[in-house]
Amino acid sequence: MSINLDDLDTKKPTPVTQPWTEEFWEGAKKGKLLIQTCKDCGAKIFYPRKYCPECWSANLEYVEASGKAKVFTYTTTYGMVEPKFMGDLPYTLALVDLEEGIRMMTRIVECKPEDISIGMDVEVTFEEVEGFALPYFKPVTK
Amino acid sequence: MGRGKIAIIGIGEVPTRIMPERTRWDIIYESCMEAVRDSGLDKNDIEGVIAASPQAQQRLLSEISFGKIPEELGLKGCKDNTVCNAGGASTSNCLRLAEQWITSGIAKAVLIPHVTVHSTIPLPDLINFFATAGMDLQWEYPFGTTYNAIMAMMAQRYMNETGTTPEDLASVVTALRSWSSRDPNSMFYGRDVPSVEKVLSSEILSTPLHKREGNILADGGSAMVVVSGEDAKKMNRPVAYKLGESARYFSACPVLRDFEKVAEGFRVTAEEAMAEAGITKDDIDLWNVYVAYPLGHPLMAEALGIAPIGEGAKYFAQGRMSFGGDIPWSTIGDAPGRGHTGSGVGAATYVETARQLMEKAGIRQVKDCKYVYQNTAGGSGFNNIATIWGREL
Repeated sequence: MSINLDDLDTKKPTPVTQPWTEEFWEGAKKGKLLIQTCKDCGAKIFYPRKYCPECWSANLEYVEASGKAKVFTYTTTYGMVEPKFMGDLPYTLALVDLEEGIRMMTRIVECKPEDISIGMDVEVTFEEVEGFALPYFKPVTK
Repeated sequence: MGRGKIAIIGIGEVPTRIMPERTRWDIIYESCMEAVRDSGLDKNDIEGVIAASPQAQQRLLSEISFGKIPEELGLKGCKDNTVCNAGGASTSNCLRLAEQWITSGIAKAVLIPHVTVHSTIPLPDLINFFATAGMDLQWEYPFGTTYNAIMAMMAQRYMNETGTTPEDLASVVTALRSWSSRDPNSMFYGRDVPSVEKVLSSEILSTPLHKREGNILADGGSAMVVVSGEDAKKMNRPVAYKLGESARYFSACPVLRDFEKVAEGFRVTAEEAMAEAGITKDDIDLWNVYVAYPLGHPLMAEALGIAPIGEGAKYFAQGRMSFGGDIPWSTIGDAPGRGHTGSGVGAATYVETARQLMEKAGIRQVKDCKYVYQNTAGGSGFNNIATIWGREL
């Protein structure tokens, strides 16, 4: 197998949105982490859906989250990624549990990989990628 | 679904290797013809073809979805053709559909083929397929997810909760490769079994996952011939009867996967499948587990009640699941031992289940193998399908 460098797509992928998720990404651009909630059954929903996955209500709204979370698990990746992510290596992916009770995929930034641990307190920070503000998390500053 | 409604009566396989010189159709011919010959049937007795969907091979998928296998092979008695796709659980669905065709009278004998050739797929396409398949393009992929990273995150949590050491986890690879080094159909056939130290000396891909704890993409194909349990019995030859089945759906996106729900799903599906088969776990002679990455094995061993919770990996470290151990387990070595052939490792695991029950497994033969537990999982782990197979009705 040979690689022709011209064939490699090095542009970062951006979130493939749906009409009902655009508000989330607009909020992110303004530095707000929004959580979709159901006004009928009270469910907190992640990822955002067109209808509530609990009761099928269309009566949904976004509310701002505190942005505080705990690391549920994480991994620091050193290789075997697409060319578009190679420039980021090494990077740490994580699943974080928000105070509001939902779990998100994210990256942990602004700290060394060896300083990350399960249960660690983190807070949201946004990073611009190709016109989107991706919600990353960083250690809570004491 | 019902106990003993179908049986696998013939198997064929082209060994898993990296072999860009062999075309997909070359492999389909060889594996299918071997399976039909092994079944004792004539090619024109095959009345249905239900192929496991090839992943990342769009042209081949179009060709076999649109009916080319019966035509190429000259299956003059074929009444219908289709493809099933559920990622790694595709073959389980081929078998289910075969059961429906057989019990409803659509077909008396069904051929279930699979082929994957990764080595001729352009590398950028291959990397992109495995970076995005089973991931959400909005909530996961933009962060830089890969299959390795998802499995690594699960392993990190598991090790944190149970105190499992990197050495314990690496020993799963040693156990799997102890089987595959003795399997002529494995890409690691005849190769040294890597020690725990050697596994841990390979580079870290995604903490805590090392390169030797991942999979090597490879090429291969297999096929099975399936008939009704009743017809199989009349043939008076070694066959593998399907005796029980159970399934649970978890989640499409890894971010929504509830670890406890997965463990519970592993446990419940095994219980329900064994109940349908009318047996208990003490009756199982071989646990033919397919979970694609090392971490799933200790989790499965615990969920199945074979190892105490949190001690699954220690059982592997003790060599109990290795060749020569007291718990025959994944005798093709799962994907880390076989070489990763897309949806083909699930197919090859069924072929191995039948091979063991037919007593054709050579040096890997599990002694007096009467009952086999086999599972498959689809996508990045969206479900678990547990099945029980036996050599007698």
